[in-house]
Amino acid sequence: MRNALRTAGMLILLVVLAAALVWVVVYWNPEPRQVNQELNIRRAPVGGDFELASYQGPVSLRQFRGKVVALYFGYTQCPDICPTSLGYLSLALSQLSPEELAGFQGLFVSVDPERDTLQRLKDYGEYFNAAILGITGPAEMIDDVVRRYGAAYRKTETGSQMGYIIDHSADTYLIDRKGKLRAVLPHGTAPEEILAALRKLLREE
Amino acid sequence: MKRLIFSLFTAAAVLSGGLVFAATAADEVTVTDAYARAVPPGQPNSASFMLLSNASTTAHAVVAAESSVSKVSELHTHTMSEGMMKMRQVERIEIPASGMTRLEPGGLHVMLIGLNHDLQPGDEVAITLTFEDGSKRGITAPVRMLQMKKMQQDMGGMEHGRMSQ
Repeated sequence: MRNALRTAGMLILLVVLAAALVWVVVYWNPEPRQVNQELNIRRAPVGGDFELASYQGPVSLRQFRGKVVALYFGYTQCPDICPTSLGYLSLALSQLSPEELAGFQGLFVSVDPERDTLQRLKDYGEYFNAAILGITGPAEMIDDVVRRYGAAYRKTETGSQMGYIIDHSADTYLIDRKGKLRAVLPHGTAPEEILAALRKLLREE
Repeated sequence: MKRLIFSLFTAAAVLSGGLVFAATAADEVTVTDAYARAVPPGQPNSASFMLLSNASTTAHAVVAAESSVSKVSELHTHTMSEGMMKMRQVERIEIPASGMTRLEPGGLHVMLIGLNHDLQPGDEVAITLTFEDGSKRGITAPVRMLQMKKMQQDMGGMEHGRMSQ
């Protein structure tokens, strides 16, 4: 009897171990360690204030209280995605009245501080609209903003002649006059939809 | 003699028939709606977009590109994964038999890398496409900012932005 119990116990142990082994083999898939502090896991956006650098000096989200802010993460060497996002945004902005535009600020956060100088970011933002300011900062500070807004980016070496490129999320974050994150517009959102979302927030006090 | 002439004639017919049959990919693929994107001053790269239409019953592919305005041109595509837009070089852009392939923002495009000068609206870019059989086709792509009309037709069906609260 005792032997039978022991055998049963051993069998159960064996089954449990085998199951554990199967689980490890099938499901345990550790991500390769990232060398750089780059964020490739998107989190739920919470928003919040931040301070980064512009050609005019430090810029904080707080100083745009009273304005509706559109926040976007990208880099100026981005060949297609950023110009598309900013192009659509600029088309929406071109529909705003001067009064409405006065209540708006665009912030383009470069996740490529290595290559994007503050002067370059100034020119890049203004190319799309004078109300779009290009800003950046040290990687830790960028990563903090990226994390809080649920964005993501990853520097990637490719075989391309371009040198490194940066994979990045391409959503536009709309922040209301009180500094609260209110809308996340996915990449490809049409200008008229961006316009409607902006107007909705611009109408608020 | 008659027979000889007949043979020659037949040979010529076969040969010319063979030539018609051996139409190159460049002959069979038409390129429309080509344009290159205007870029901010100092921008090192841009992209060109177009519609490739294949009228033949043979699948074709673009395998390389060259342009008058950039040091290098490459074929690229975008995919969305892990919440990020990822751009990668591709070996070839397939155009199915009796089908079309559209190169457009957010997807397939000809990357113009190392621009010789800023691309401004009104400029033109000469692009040479090389196909899988080595045949080539030259096209002229006007430089444009985003096209409102095209964009509305492309983007009309997109979902609305998620409004939090």
